[in-house]
Amino acid sequence: MEVDIMSREQKLLLLEIMEYSFALVETNLYLDTHPYDERALKLHNSYSQKYNELLSLYEAKYGPLRYTQMSGCPWAYINDPWPWEIDFNVI
Amino acid sequence: MNYDYWDRNKGMQLARAYVPFQRLNEVFDPKEALMKGTLFPELYMPYKRRGEDLNGGRYYE
Repeated sequence: MEVDIMSREQKLLLLEIMEYSFALVETNLYLDTHPYDERALKLHNSYSQKYNELLSLYEAKYGPLRYTQMSGCPWAYINDPWPWEIDFNVI
Repeated sequence: MNYDYWDRNKGMQLARAYVPFQRLNEVFDPKEALMKGTLFPELYMPYKRRGEDLNGGRYYE
Protein backbone atom coordinates (compact mmCIF):
# COMPACT_ATOMS: atom_id res chain seq x y z
CA MET A 1 0.00 0.00 0.00
CA GLU A 2 1.24 3.41 -0.93
CA VAL A 3 1.86 6.04 1.63
CA ASP A 4 -0.49 8.94 1.17
CA ILE A 5 1.84 11.84 0.52
CA MET A 6 -0.73 14.53 -0.07
CA SER A 7 -2.81 16.21 2.56
CA ARG A 8 -6.56 16.35 2.20
CA GLU A 9 -6.31 20.08 1.69
CA GLN A 10 -3.79 19.70 -1.15
CA LYS A 11 -5.89 17.05 -2.88
CA LEU A 12 -9.05 19.14 -2.69
CA LEU A 13 -7.24 22.09 -4.22
CA LEU A 14 -5.78 19.96 -7.01
CA LEU A 15 -9.20 18.44 -7.66
CA GLU A 16 -10.71 21.89 -7.95
CA ILE A 17 -8.01 22.82 -10.45
CA MET A 18 -8.88 19.70 -12.47
CA GLU A 19 -12.56 20.64 -12.39
CA TYR A 20 -11.95 24.12 -13.76
CA SER A 21 -9.43 22.77 -16.24
CA PHE A 22 -12.12 20.45 -17.63
CA ALA A 23 -14.76 23.19 -17.68
CA LEU A 24 -12.30 25.27 -19.73
CA VAL A 25 -11.87 22.43 -22.25
CA GLU A 26 -15.64 22.44 -22.67
CA THR A 27 -16.00 26.20 -23.15
CA ASN A 28 -12.96 26.10 -25.45
CA LEU A 29 -14.57 23.53 -27.74
CA TYR A 30 -17.94 25.30 -27.65
CA LEU A 31 -16.34 28.65 -28.48
CA ASP A 32 -14.42 27.16 -31.40
CA THR A 33 -17.77 26.76 -33.15
CA HIS A 34 -19.58 29.69 -31.49
CA PRO A 35 -16.95 32.44 -31.38
CA TYR A 36 -19.49 35.26 -30.98
CA ASP A 37 -21.49 33.72 -28.13
CA GLU A 38 -21.05 36.34 -25.46
CA ARG A 39 -22.63 34.31 -22.69
CA ALA A 40 -20.20 31.47 -23.40
CA LEU A 41 -17.31 33.91 -23.47
CA LYS A 42 -18.36 35.30 -20.11
CA LEU A 43 -18.53 31.80 -18.72
CA HIS A 44 -15.14 30.92 -20.17
CA ASN A 45 -13.55 34.06 -18.78
CA SER A 46 -14.93 33.45 -15.31
CA TYR A 47 -13.58 29.88 -15.38
CA SER A 48 -10.26 31.18 -16.68
CA GLN A 49 -9.93 33.69 -13.89
CA LYS A 50 -10.80 31.13 -11.22
CA TYR A 51 -8.45 28.55 -12.78
CA ASN A 52 -5.51 30.94 -12.78
CA GLU A 53 -6.19 31.98 -9.20
CA LEU A 54 -6.33 28.34 -8.10
CA LEU A 55 -3.11 27.52 -9.98
CA SER A 56 -1.25 30.41 -8.38
CA LEU A 57 -2.55 29.47 -4.96
CA TYR A 58 -1.57 25.82 -5.42
CA GLU A 59 1.88 26.60 -6.78
CA ALA A 60 2.61 29.10 -4.02
CA LYS A 61 1.74 26.48 -1.42
CA TYR A 62 2.92 23.19 -2.92
CA GLY A 63 5.33 23.91 -5.77
CA PRO A 64 5.08 24.15 -9.55
CA LEU A 65 2.44 22.31 -11.57
CA ARG A 66 3.84 23.77 -14.79
CA TYR A 67 7.36 23.34 -16.10
CA THR A 68 7.10 26.88 -17.47
CA GLN A 69 7.21 28.30 -13.93
CA MET A 70 10.34 29.60 -12.27
CA SER A 71 12.05 27.45 -9.67
CA GLY A 72 14.54 27.79 -6.84
CA CYS A 73 17.43 25.35 -6.49
CA PRO A 74 17.02 22.42 -6.74
CA TRP A 75 14.61 22.20 -9.68
CA ALA A 76 11.23 21.81 -7.96
CA TYR A 77 9.12 20.46 -10.82
CA ILE A 78 10.28 16.88 -10.19
CA ASN A 79 9.14 16.84 -6.56
CA ASP A 80 6.59 14.26 -5.44
CA PRO A 81 3.90 13.30 -5.89
CA TRP A 82 3.73 12.00 -9.45
CA PRO A 83 0.21 12.03 -10.87
CA TRP A 84 -0.17 8.26 -10.55
CA GLU A 85 0.76 8.38 -6.87
CA ILE A 86 -2.29 10.43 -5.96
CA ASP A 87 -5.22 8.46 -4.59
CA PHE A 88 -8.34 10.54 -5.13
CA ASN A 89 -10.50 7.74 -3.75
CA VAL A 90 -9.23 8.69 -0.33
CA ILE A 91 -9.79 12.34 0.33
CA MET B 1 -17.26 -6.73 -57.21
CA ASN B 2 -19.06 -3.44 -57.07
CA TYR B 3 -19.50 -3.10 -60.82
CA ASP B 4 -23.23 -2.78 -60.68
CA TYR B 5 -23.29 -0.71 -57.50
CA TRP B 6 -23.86 2.65 -59.18
CA ASP B 7 -26.33 1.17 -61.60
CA ARG B 8 -28.40 -0.34 -58.84
CA ASN B 9 -28.52 2.91 -56.91
CA LYS B 10 -29.10 5.21 -59.82
CA GLY B 11 -31.25 8.12 -58.79
CA MET B 12 -30.84 7.46 -55.09
CA GLN B 13 -28.99 9.61 -52.58
CA LEU B 14 -26.24 8.32 -50.38
CA ALA B 15 -26.77 8.77 -46.63
CA ARG B 16 -26.31 12.27 -45.28
CA ALA B 17 -25.47 13.07 -41.72
CA TYR B 18 -26.46 16.21 -39.92
CA VAL B 19 -25.80 17.62 -36.47
CA PRO B 20 -28.05 20.30 -35.01
CA PHE B 21 -26.16 23.41 -33.94
CA GLN B 22 -25.71 23.50 -30.19
CA ARG B 23 -27.04 26.49 -28.27
CA LEU B 24 -25.81 27.43 -24.85
CA ASN B 25 -28.24 26.52 -22.11
CA GLU B 26 -27.72 25.96 -18.41
CA VAL B 27 -24.39 24.37 -17.53
CA PHE B 28 -23.28 21.99 -14.78
CA ASP B 29 -20.97 23.46 -12.19
CA PRO B 30 -17.33 22.44 -12.84
CA LYS B 31 -17.35 19.74 -10.15
CA GLU B 32 -20.42 18.02 -11.55
CA ALA B 33 -19.14 18.50 -15.12
CA LEU B 34 -15.89 16.65 -14.44
CA MET B 35 -17.76 13.74 -12.87
CA LYS B 36 -20.29 13.54 -15.71
CA GLY B 37 -17.80 14.09 -18.51
CA THR B 38 -19.57 17.11 -19.97
CA LEU B 39 -20.33 20.69 -19.00
CA PHE B 40 -23.57 20.64 -20.94
CA PRO B 41 -26.65 18.90 -19.48
CA GLU B 42 -28.11 18.39 -22.97
CA LEU B 43 -25.04 16.33 -23.88
CA TYR B 44 -25.13 14.15 -20.79
CA MET B 45 -26.32 10.82 -22.13
CA PRO B 46 -24.90 8.00 -20.03
CA TYR B 47 -25.24 4.41 -21.21
CA LYS B 48 -27.48 2.33 -18.99
CA ARG B 49 -26.14 -0.94 -17.75
CA ARG B 50 -28.32 -3.78 -18.99
CA GLY B 51 -26.86 -6.65 -17.02
CA GLU B 52 -23.84 -8.83 -16.74
CA ASP B 53 -23.01 -11.67 -19.08
CA LEU B 54 -21.64 -15.05 -18.06
CA ASN B 55 -18.03 -14.05 -18.65
CA GLY B 56 -18.24 -11.19 -16.22
CA GLY B 57 -18.38 -8.52 -18.90
CA ARG B 58 -21.06 -5.91 -18.93
CA TYR B 59 -23.51 -4.97 -21.63
CA TYR B 60 -24.42 -1.39 -22.19
CA GLU B 61 -27.25 -0.13 -24.35
